[in-house]
Amino acid sequence: MGWHDFKRKVKRQFSEALELPGDVVLDLPKIIMIGNIQLFIENHRGIIEYTPEGVRVSVGEGEVTVNGENLMLRNILPDELCVEGKIRSLSFL
Amino acid sequence: MLLFRLMSALLGYVVIMVTGEAPERFVNMAASRGIYLWDINKVREGAVLMKVRLGAVKALRHIARRTKCRLHFEQRVGLPFFYTRLLRRKALALGMLFFLGALYLLSSFVWFIEVKGNERLTVPEVLGAAAEAGLNRGMPRWSVETERVEEAIGEKLPLVAWTGVYIKGAKVTIEVAERVVPDAEDNRPSHIIATKAGLVKEVLVLSGYPAVKEGDTVSPGQVLISGEIPPLEEPPKPGEEQKQGEELKKTKKPSRFVHARGIVRARVWYDGYGEAKLVETGIRRTGRSGTRVSIKFNGKEIILSGNQNIPYELYDTETFVKTIPQWRNLEVPVELVTLKYFETAQYREERGIEGARSLAGERALAEATKLLPETARLINRSLEDIQTGHLENIVRIKVTVETIEEIGAEGLFKP
Repeated sequence: MGWHDFKRKVKRQFSEALELPGDVVLDLPKIIMIGNIQLFIENHRGIIEYTPEGVRVSVGEGEVTVNGENLMLRNILPDELCVEGKIRSLSFL
Repeated sequence: MLLFRLMSALLGYVVIMVTGEAPERFVNMAASRGIYLWDINKVREGAVLMKVRLGAVKALRHIARRTKCRLHFEQRVGLPFFYTRLLRRKALALGMLFFLGALYLLSSFVWFIEVKGNERLTVPEVLGAAAEAGLNRGMPRWSVETERVEEAIGEKLPLVAWTGVYIKGAKVTIEVAERVVPDAEDNRPSHIIATKAGLVKEVLVLSGYPAVKEGDTVSPGQVLISGEIPPLEEPPKPGEEQKQGEELKKTKKPSRFVHARGIVRARVWYDGYGEAKLVETGIRRTGRSGTRVSIKFNGKEIILSGNQNIPYELYDTETFVKTIPQWRNLEVPVELVTLKYFETAQYREERGIEGARSLAGERALAEATKLLPETARLINRSLEDIQTGHLENIVRIKVTVETIEEIGAEGLFKP
């Protein structure tokens, strides 16, 4: 077990013990989906790829891929992002 | 979000097309620098359409250079662009200015004068008095002196107790309050004449000379209280009797003419007649009904609402047709037909002799009371069976109503 994994474990236990939300302490994305038409990602690290069929967004560790049709970036802020369109799937890589 | 849109429209935003190898990098960099981008849309490979506020465009140029993308402005939206476009179109700006100027100029004149609160005075009278004080239609608002107009109306029209003149926009309201002045007495010579035939019950003379007395029978048009007062006949004094003959010729005074006033009450009779069948059969409505609305066009009927077949066995109908009014010789062949249908049923009612009699009596009385004036006082009524001699399926009742009422009315005459 490397130093990095140890640090994560400690952080997680710390956040669980103090009941702090994970997106603040662990630097994880907070994803809100409204049906299959709207998706908010907070705490993102930028867009990797954008096409109307798929959006790849970099998050703290790894990336989030949204697949669908007629996708559109509704707005983009330094740490918030909104995708609109017909969303079919959401996956973590 | 709505507020954001509104602010964007006010401050101005542009729709830009970013072309290059990696427009995503452009978007990332812009976002990380705090530039708000929205409605990002990929139109084709390597070309992205997005919206950005006008203030951030300068920074975007720098980012485009860094990410090797090209910017192209597709559309400019918002107030600042509208303003520059307006500056280019001088005539439009001038027209706007002219419109505002005309609006201000035209609203600074008095266009309407309204008179309120006048009952006996006519509107032209009040307006005439106001015009003399310098209040006319079409004059500038600032030259109306409300106090002077108020004063002038008060002086010119003695009937006015108080005046108020208000200017509101292009309308001047003149409010007047009239004095209550008793009506001038009508002194034209007149009789009081009978309007109805009757038996005089009481005569009360306020002015005039009584022409009838209690117990007289009068006919319509007959003079009840005369407006002509004959000269007072002085009883001849003892010792002057021998002179009477010539004296009368000498001192024949003319009679006076007055406006007769007084009350003449009389007994008046009214007749009414009613009949009712002992056994009555017929058809009448049951109270159930329905409507059918349809449009008639060239002989074809299209039903809009209601049943096609009337759901009653026996019924009668009422039809209302609405057509578009004819203009010149153009006639629209469309009409709206509203059909109301009422269910009917046969009935048979056996009243018996007493029932028929009371019903006939009610009908007769109703007919008689229709003739009565409101002020009449009913004193007597009598019902009478009319017998025809042979047995019939019908009862006939005649009713006589007796009232006491005032029968006098003013009748002018020329002496």
